[in-house]
Amino acid sequence: MGALAAAIAIGLAALGAGLGNGMIVSRTVEGIARQPELRGALQTTMFIGVALVEAIPIFAVVIAFMVMGS
Amino acid sequence: MEQYQSMITRQRKWMFYLLALFVLGLGFTPYTSIFLGLLLGTVLSFYNLWVMQRKITRFGQAVAHQKGTAGIGTFTRLASVALAVLIAFRYEEYFHLTAVIIGLMTTYVVIMIDFMIFRLRY
Repeated sequence: MGALAAAIAIGLAALGAGLGNGMIVSRTVEGIARQPELRGALQTTMFIGVALVEAIPIFAVVIAFMVMGS
Repeated sequence: MEQYQSMITRQRKWMFYLLALFVLGLGFTPYTSIFLGLLLGTVLSFYNLWVMQRKITRFGQAVAHQKGTAGIGTFTRLASVALAVLIAFRYEEYFHLTAVIIGLMTTYVVIMIDFMIFRLRY
């Protein structure tokens, strides 16, 4: 059951990270393509967005490995 | 572009300060396993930060020059976190697991505090 729990945790985390990152990246690409001079500001926003999106999946990976290890 | 580069420099600077603080804690306090755990977590967290900064810089360049790019390194970061947890489990007598997890979150704390300070100042 531990392996199943870990698999579900990592799978859902990867799904969430993929969806979130996909939205952020698509909007950033649109923004940079329209206004290349705003690249710095858009990259900053993208960086912070990606960091926020990935914090929770990282927790999920930690929890999954703790479940596997215990 | 200047804004992004200065943010990267600030974040690296704060991470180096934190690493130096943890090394001092390891050397001068009796809480060896906690500070070793914090160091392990922070080193891998710093690696994650470095990967994220490098990938996003390359991504921006690729989009601006209308070239293709190979992702933004999400799975590299997830794998490095898994590595940290595995090391902490394998050498349980040296690393405090909770400290490793707190160390892994250092990057996010640094990013958020830096962003808030930057927003308040400018």
